[in-house]
Amino acid sequence: MKRRSLLLSGLGGAGALLVGWGMLPMRSRMGSADTLPVVDGQVGLNGWIKMTSDGDVMLAMPRSEMGQGVHTALAMIAAEELDVPLSKVRLVQAGHDALYGNVVSFVEMLPFHPSEREPGSETRTLATAQWVVSKLARELGINVTGGSSSVSDMWDVLRLAAATARAQLVNAASLQWKLPAAELAVKDGVVSHSSGTSAHYGQLSKMAASTRPGDVKTKDPVEWKLIGTAAPRTDLPAKIDGSAKFGIDIREPGQLYAVVRHCPCLRGGVGRVSADAAMKLPGVERVVRLSSYGGSTEGMAVVGRTSWHAMQGARALDIDWRAPAAGAPNTKAIMAALEATARKAAKEDGGFSFYSRGSLKDAQQSAARKFEAVYRAPYLAHATMEPINCTAQVKDGKVTVWAPTQVPGIARAIAAQVAGVADEAVTVHVTYLGGGFGRRLDVDFVGQAVRVAIETNGRPVQLLWPREEDLTHDFYRPAGVAVMQASFDAQGDVTGLAITSAGDAITPRWIERTLPNLAGPVDAPDKTVNDGLFDLPYGIPNERIAHVATHSGVPIGYWRSVGHSHNAFFSECFIDELAHESKQDPVAYRLSLLKDMPRHAAVLGLARDKSGWGTPLPAGRARGVALHESFGSIVAEVVEVSIESGAPKVHRVVCAADIGTVINPGIVAQQMEGAIVFGLTAALYGRVDIEQGAVQQTNFPNYPMVKLAQTPVIETHLVPSTRAPAGAGEPGTPPLAPALANALFALTGRRMRDLPLC
Amino acid sequence: MGQSGSFMDLSINGQPRPLPEGATEPDMPLLWVLRDVLGMTGTKFGCGVSACGACTVHVDGKAVRSCVVPLSAAVGKSVRTIEALGTPGEPHVLQKAWIAHQVSQCGYCQSGMLMAAAALIEKNSNPSDADIDAAITNICRCGTYPRVREAIKTAARELRGAIPDGKTRPERLKAFRSCPLITSKDPCSSLQMLARAMAAL
Repeated sequence: MKRRSLLLSGLGGAGALLVGWGMLPMRSRMGSADTLPVVDGQVGLNGWIKMTSDGDVMLAMPRSEMGQGVHTALAMIAAEELDVPLSKVRLVQAGHDALYGNVVSFVEMLPFHPSEREPGSETRTLATAQWVVSKLARELGINVTGGSSSVSDMWDVLRLAAATARAQLVNAASLQWKLPAAELAVKDGVVSHSSGTSAHYGQLSKMAASTRPGDVKTKDPVEWKLIGTAAPRTDLPAKIDGSAKFGIDIREPGQLYAVVRHCPCLRGGVGRVSADAAMKLPGVERVVRLSSYGGSTEGMAVVGRTSWHAMQGARALDIDWRAPAAGAPNTKAIMAALEATARKAAKEDGGFSFYSRGSLKDAQQSAARKFEAVYRAPYLAHATMEPINCTAQVKDGKVTVWAPTQVPGIARAIAAQVAGVADEAVTVHVTYLGGGFGRRLDVDFVGQAVRVAIETNGRPVQLLWPREEDLTHDFYRPAGVAVMQASFDAQGDVTGLAITSAGDAITPRWIERTLPNLAGPVDAPDKTVNDGLFDLPYGIPNERIAHVATHSGVPIGYWRSVGHSHNAFFSECFIDELAHESKQDPVAYRLSLLKDMPRHAAVLGLARDKSGWGTPLPAGRARGVALHESFGSIVAEVVEVSIESGAPKVHRVVCAADIGTVINPGIVAQQMEGAIVFGLTAALYGRVDIEQGAVQQTNFPNYPMVKLAQTPVIETHLVPSTRAPAGAGEPGTPPLAPALANALFALTGRRMRDLPLC
Repeated sequence: MGQSGSFMDLSINGQPRPLPEGATEPDMPLLWVLRDVLGMTGTKFGCGVSACGACTVHVDGKAVRSCVVPLSAAVGKSVRTIEALGTPGEPHVLQKAWIAHQVSQCGYCQSGMLMAAAALIEKNSNPSDADIDAAITNICRCGTYPRVREAIKTAARELRGAIPDGKTRPERLKAFRSCPLITSKDPCSSLQMLARAMAAL
């Protein structure tokens, strides 16, 4: 079935209901003056902004800070439109109103090729689909920090909310002083007139709340003072003196500590448990059986006076584990099955075609030469530095949760479900996240914490997974295999590209366990697993890009850059192979295929120039390049590598990126550096092996990470852009592995088609 | 068990810290005493096997991984944690450099990273790249490493400036300008200016 026909039949099926709903205007994301709760003389202006009596701005913050700098970036956008210094913007956690939902992260799930998405030349199908999904996402209002979408999602919403608030404040001064608004100036949150009259926002806010904003215009980019500057991160001071509060740092009066021990076999169960030895240990208070919550494997929790006491107790439990009913997964068998599936589908035009153009059959039949390669990528764990944890209290019919989560609304829902209370009886406090990378889009640990808190007589309990539980019971980046086939004509030009990949669908599994009410009986095609294959920018006239969604039985989830993380390795190494087959320079070859994609060509050109591509290197070193678009941003990376003591040593990575309008170039550079180091760890070492259902990698000694000594010099260069902001947190990761593998090929002549490279 | 009397000798950040009767065991790692008994949560748990360094503190001036240091081994010694690295009024040179280079992202590993870096530069105020590689083996999933390296160099430079080293201010400034961060075309030019201004002070 073709993507378009499926989409249209879906739309048709919903029928008349949809038409009626479609006539209604889109749900507003502005909120009203009474959306935000107020105390101590605060005045609400809309769902995003309230003023304190001394003129500070309180900004409702729905997105989670997990290192990506979003608290700073979003505060900068509000400060810019309000004309206040960044230091006057204070954050207050947003509630669960639908207006705080993330619309862009859902719209971005639509499988459209970049050529159909270009602003101004969108196809009608695209415009319709985007409209429907936006409207639906606004109704659902699901609060997600993910998909590198926080800034792009809130860019228009936040600027309009802040500009509207500013207009109300200025108009209030105008009314009060009987002076035309056009004669009033605003600086640092103070409205003033040349006559000397002035008042700060706090003094004007009461009147502003009932003053019309009039015609609201957001600033022209030439008026920006803060946007585009490397303003220091507002969260940084607390992160260098130990005062920043992560989930694991919650300390409430009377708090207990619980430690989880899961069935070692993924999806296995708990049989007979003997807790006698554990209960005899000092500081051990209670043992709780954990069934499956939000997709977790069953296990046990031991409650103790401290995390350490609970750990001793968890170790001392004597448990008969039960094998999973569906059979225990093995990665060796899964990888073989994925490859067989992909090869079979490649032969039979099988799988779901996410994109096709021209006639691949004709190109293949008339080909003067064909070239084929098979690529493979393993499962990966997230390994956030802050181990998985959540604190919960169940008392007097109310539930309080302190969670490092990327999805506070979904966390609230599972807490309510486990405690058997209404959503409204649950309060979720979102803490700082010690890394997310997609792991904290799942809420299994929230369900477990609430389950344990039911047993602690109203005392709060902090549930913690030791590192071993984290690595062996993650929702892993799915393994993938791709069969890549190219056809060349008699002139040696590439005329056909067929990519047939196999791997588990991510989104349907995530929806099943986190938003079960939205899960359908049949999986919709999941574009996220094909991201980075179906949407290639290269002008190859005939293409068929298809994917076979498999069911491996391994719990899988979103991992920084999701499908792009391995698909960019497949596609950008293969393009490099085509360059080599065509006896052309890898950069020149790509550029020859990017004649209709000027932004991609510009990014690649910048990386070429800044890296000194083509200039001599010290003996024993080579360069490799990769170019990849993800989350609306285009990134090229040039890697310089040598072999030292038999292992690759990366010396330098030059990164060029077009991410649209840049809010804070300092944070963007940080994100590119971080994404490159994250990608380097995965490229060099990242693999999760499963034997008889048990993950073999248990802690950092056998799931190694790149450390400071292995970190290359990283340079980031941004292409100036006036487009709307796109993603920053993830797009730096995908190009690293292919750029490194391509550099190793240039150095050694050996083509590496399997990750990891070491 | 329960020899709480001897634990009275635990000294943290220059203060004697009595431990509640029966709250600890002699083999309880220092990390959990700090976090769960004393409520000092700046020191982090990362792996429990001395592999990641998130729990790094100083014991008698040496950087140690507190997840594997039993309480009994810390008794009678001087323990220093991130909470006492500097004060808001008088930040540690590393804390100033951390701001100048905008090092932190999620921030979770940063306490341990800073404590490891502090032990390094307090012993060696002119660390080479190799010295830094050898001393900083902490894991950071956000990849703050390039900025950690530069911040350590900046802090060490300030430390050397504060201690009479025979160099004139222009000499120190010249040395600072040759730092890779300053010469590379990094987009954070305002941060460079900040760092540069700091060095010139």
